Amino acid sequence: MIKVYSTPTCPYCVTLKNFLKENNIQFEDIDVSQDEIAAKDMIDRSGQMGVPVIDINGEMVVGFDQEKIKKLLKLTQLT
Amino acid sequence: MIYDLIIIGGGPAGIAAGIYAARKRLNTLLVTKEWGGQITKANEVQNWPGIKSISGLDLIKQMTEHMKSFEIEIRENKEVIDLDKKGDNFTVRDNDEQYEARAVIVASGKMPRTLNIPGEDKFKGRGVSMCATCDAPIFKNKEVAVIGGGNVGFGVAMDLVKYAKKIYILEFFEEMKGDPMTKEKLAQTEKVEFITNAVIKEIKGTKFVESLIYEDRKTSEDKEIKVDGVFISVGMMAKAEFATKLVELNKIGEIVIDKDNYTKTPGLFAAGDITDIKYEQVVIAAGEGAKAALAATEYLGRKE
Repeated sequence: MIKVYSTPTCPYCVTLKNFLKENNIQFEDIDVSQDEIAAKDMIDRSGQMGVPVIDINGEMVVGFDQEKIKKLLKLTQLT
Repeated sequence: MIYDLIIIGGGPAGIAAGIYAARKRLNTLLVTKEWGGQITKANEVQNWPGIKSISGLDLIKQMTEHMKSFEIEIRENKEVIDLDKKGDNFTVRDNDEQYEARAVIVASGKMPRTLNIPGEDKFKGRGVSMCATCDAPIFKNKEVAVIGGGNVGFGVAMDLVKYAKKIYILEFFEEMKGDPMTKEKLAQTEKVEFITNAVIKEIKGTKFVESLIYEDRKTSEDKEIKVDGVFISVGMMAKAEFATKLVELNKIGEIVIDKDNYTKTPGLFAAGDITDIKYEQVVIAAGEGAKAALAATEYLGRKE
């Protein structure tokens, strides 16, 4: 299960989501500017307040950390 | 291995320099901490000729891909910490390696100025933010402080009024420096409190930011305000310490260049926002990068 916590205005959120789409990875897109409960959940679970945050099967990655995300998604030979 | 040219920086200036240098068939290495820099924070760029509107990130991505289509060596995620000249050649050092070249272009741009106060680093991402565009919605119904009462600070506050319950704007000087019309707009929201003569001293909290301490310069009294977020917008700064042995810096730390991008050291050029040119725009930085590469090409040609 992959969830992306984002806001509509954050450039790296767009980059992250495009990256997932380019790699045909399905994800649930959560807009924390609209969903306060989800925002609180993201802050509690990631221990910080910045977006984007990606939840990859329970593991939270803060920011567009391409290396870590690739590793967790087991995307080894991609751009 | 001695390169013809090393370019330090991967923003519009460095990338344009890279394209020009590669097309001039210089044996070139580009070393950068990241791609883009300031421009990656821009949601929309509408003044890059040929493209009506594009996000800063996409523009940089296209520029980078364009450059990589040429023959050029690249080291990413590397921060240059020292630049020196030994005899005719330059040495460029990052945290892991040292490289040598006959000419160098410094194009590492500017970064957000920091306050250097206790709590600033500790609470980064835990209430302290440098990107209001990204993080403003997280502060829905919360109280926040914006440090810096210039136009950038006002812009940050405008992003925040949609979400935050209360916004303090703190300014060091007697008066807010931002545009009076924007100030009026902010005042009309009745959410904004303007505080002048404020020296920021500490950001406090446990897990997240809880308060901010500032000194009132008029009364020399310390005051504490309860806030959940602190947005720092006190301008940008050039970070050219690694090059100080070889360049002249102006009083705000920018590298002094002549009209052809020469620094005071022969063979060392600089381009873009890290230099003392007046206007800081993507198209100008790219132009400056191109100029520096052409000047470096000419310099290397003369040496042969």
